[in-house]
Amino acid sequence: MFIHAGMILVVMAVTFAVAKLLKLTIELSMFVAAIAGALAHGAGIPVRHIVDGAFTYYDVCLIFITATFFMNLLKEAGGVTYIIRGIITTFHRQRFVCLLLLTLVLLIPGALTGSGAVTVLIMGTMVGNVLTYMGISETRTAAIIFLCAAMSAAAPPINLWAMMAAAGSNMPYVGFMQPLLIITVSGALLSMFILGWKGKAVDLEKALKELPTPPEKMNFLRVIIPFLVFFALVLAGRIWPFQMPILGLPLMFLISAFAVFLISPKKLPLLEIASTTIRQLIPLVGIMIVVGVLIQIMALSGARGLISLGVVTLPLTVLFAALWLILPWSEGLVQYAAAPLLGVPLILLFNMKGLNPVIALSAMAVMWPLGDCLPPTAVVGRATVIELKYKGSYYGEFVKTCLIPMLIILFVCTLFIIFSKQLSFLVG
Amino acid sequence: MSEKYIKTVKIISFCIALILMIMAGRAFYEHRYFKGAIVLSPGVTEVKKLSDYFSPLEGTANDCNIYILDSGNPGGTVMVLGGTHPEEPGANLAAQVLVENAQLEKGRLIVVIWANRSASTVSRPGDAYPQFYHISTDWGVKKFRMGDRWANPLDSWPDPEVYVNYPSRQLLAYMDIRNLNRTWPGKADGALVERTCYAFIELIKEEKVGLFIDLHEAELEYPVISTIVANQNAQEIAAMVSMILTAFEFKRPIGMEFSPPSLHGLSHREVGDYSDALSLLFEAPEPFLDRVRGITDEHLLLTGKDPFVMKAGEYGLLYEKIDEEGWPIDVRVGRHCSTILQSVQTYSEMYPDKVVAISKVPRYAEVIENGVGHYFYDPDEAPTDRVVYE
Amino acid sequence: MTTINLVIMIIYHIISVFVVFVLIWSIIKTKDVQEAILYCIILIPFTLRVFHIK
Repeated sequence: MFIHAGMILVVMAVTFAVAKLLKLTIELSMFVAAIAGALAHGAGIPVRHIVDGAFTYYDVCLIFITATFFMNLLKEAGGVTYIIRGIITTFHRQRFVCLLLLTLVLLIPGALTGSGAVTVLIMGTMVGNVLTYMGISETRTAAIIFLCAAMSAAAPPINLWAMMAAAGSNMPYVGFMQPLLIITVSGALLSMFILGWKGKAVDLEKALKELPTPPEKMNFLRVIIPFLVFFALVLAGRIWPFQMPILGLPLMFLISAFAVFLISPKKLPLLEIASTTIRQLIPLVGIMIVVGVLIQIMALSGARGLISLGVVTLPLTVLFAALWLILPWSEGLVQYAAAPLLGVPLILLFNMKGLNPVIALSAMAVMWPLGDCLPPTAVVGRATVIELKYKGSYYGEFVKTCLIPMLIILFVCTLFIIFSKQLSFLVG
Repeated sequence: MSEKYIKTVKIISFCIALILMIMAGRAFYEHRYFKGAIVLSPGVTEVKKLSDYFSPLEGTANDCNIYILDSGNPGGTVMVLGGTHPEEPGANLAAQVLVENAQLEKGRLIVVIWANRSASTVSRPGDAYPQFYHISTDWGVKKFRMGDRWANPLDSWPDPEVYVNYPSRQLLAYMDIRNLNRTWPGKADGALVERTCYAFIELIKEEKVGLFIDLHEAELEYPVISTIVANQNAQEIAAMVSMILTAFEFKRPIGMEFSPPSLHGLSHREVGDYSDALSLLFEAPEPFLDRVRGITDEHLLLTGKDPFVMKAGEYGLLYEKIDEEGWPIDVRVGRHCSTILQSVQTYSEMYPDKVVAISKVPRYAEVIENGVGHYFYDPDEAPTDRVVYE
Repeated sequence: MTTINLVIMIIYHIISVFVVFVLIWSIIKTKDVQEAILYCIILIPFTLRVFHIK
């Protein structure tokens, strides 16, 4: 079975490479690789498995679509321009406060939804513009947006990786708040200040001249109310969980979008924006669906088990030394599926070896989203460059710029895992 | 690229997608609406529905059958729950062995085969579970439905962004709102699975259940395995049963663990705390559930043989032993049968005014010797009024 | 509460219907062959959910 599963992995990798050489898109190359894997497994074309796998991230796709729809409506209503002008006007002389506020603004959407892509889609353009006006290069701006988005996805209360791994190992999702908060907030601030501290003073006059003007009737209240609606819905679910109906994140975003529509100073073409949103997100949704198919075939053929086994049978010291590579890479390969794939066996292993599973899982759950800029999926990285209309080289400039803050965060996380027992006091 | 070429590719792609949809759709439909036959033992005196205890469940996917075996003689009442997690077939098969074989001499036995019926109607995306498995019987091959750990999203959608257990307020993963062993003690106006747990608590109270048993299987990487988890009210029974079975019956020991007071939503905690029933949960080993497993198929599900899991064992990563013999379904069902019988016997000895005496149910050695299929009967040969479908 | 939950479930199906509609429209409109194939793949889960099959 070892040889069989190994062969499947080789077939998938080779097929993917050939498909890329033949200029197929990443999504189609992965799909073809999955089919080739299934054929090599000897299961013919397992139609039910292919379609079953396509459902793996169905709800995550709906979150992406509705969150982006909400933000697109706000943009169309002029709210985004209004906020950018507001931040620049108020804080153009206080760089430290400005960067601090922008970091917090970036952390919120992902912290609430567990998705870095949502942060990029909601806040990416807006914060990106402000950063550019602060004299930060396009490449550094993109890197800041991605890194803060990754930290926001890992930030509490919602960390999907920790939740999935905790559920898989029958641990309650409790005690994660403090360790996650400490690592993610420091990680985000670190990224923002390393990459964004140096710059030039904002040329207020020039910036305000170049920025589009929001509709006359747009004001702070009109911008903030839809966000307040969203946060109120999330908070209401927490404060009165037994009285509130289960809305789910997609519907919360839709209700907030409706608030934008109601209070927008100009009439918004709902259907048109909704269609544009879906078309805009097709690459992201496509990759999520195809990754689902791929991991289904990997599970079917034993290739998934081989990877899991390969990781958990590494000596503990090697594991500590390699996790900073393995976890982001697995995220790049299979997205959220990395949590049940590697997280569950790893957390059970760490528990067996006397480490604190909550601290260790918290640290791992911050390492995963950093891999969201890595191939083949690179979902959040790609979303970042798409949203910011970044023209530079993806790997040569964008990913390279992310590396230093990323390595520091990964190093801190590794320390959290190694010293998890000593850090047990952080578990609330 | 010419317009015609693009149009042709579009049409072909759309047709292929349509064919995939139809083929997979048929498979999903067949799985969701499959009905397995259950031949009632002469001991079954009544088949009720869960909605008889909580009417809002009527017509929902989780309105499962409740099999009541009443001796007619005074005694206590024991309830056995199978199918809490329909991805753990040893549990629902053991429950079905009871329904098709058990006879009561004293007291009453209440059995549920598919506690989270909705979860039995869906396969887990990304995990490549088979949809069905087949057991050889004395009269042919019997087909069973393989399910998931969580209820079907078609019956309970959407999930919250995080699940807050009622009434403990413990935070759990979002999908656990569809996990029947995280939603106890249930909520009357909650999501489907919360309502299901609420209905079970109503049943337990109305039928005055004295001993409650929840059947499970677990991966070997998971520390809670080959064990009886007991609420503090059932610790003595669990300790006694584990000692007797380990000493006299099982090849591999069965342990005993205390239900953690801070871990909410699980049956061994909440059923004991929210009703008068003594609450136990049994775990048997199922290598199929291990994340490091190899090829995912029916063979692994039924034999429990897997070289990858064995390799993990060699590295000391497992909480239960595994060798070339694996953990076959007969062994897993056999362990559940004996653990149920021994628990009922110990309960009866400890509470002489609540005696429950069960006969005709095979023990561990018998299930292994004859195969679990030996204890399922031909629905075509049985009187029609003694066959139900679920 | 149960009725509200049912209404919410219907809204989610309507969202899926809308996605299916836009996907079909995009398949018709696109001039890129690979895009069209990807749209067809994405169409599968959304359509099956709309028809309450999976």
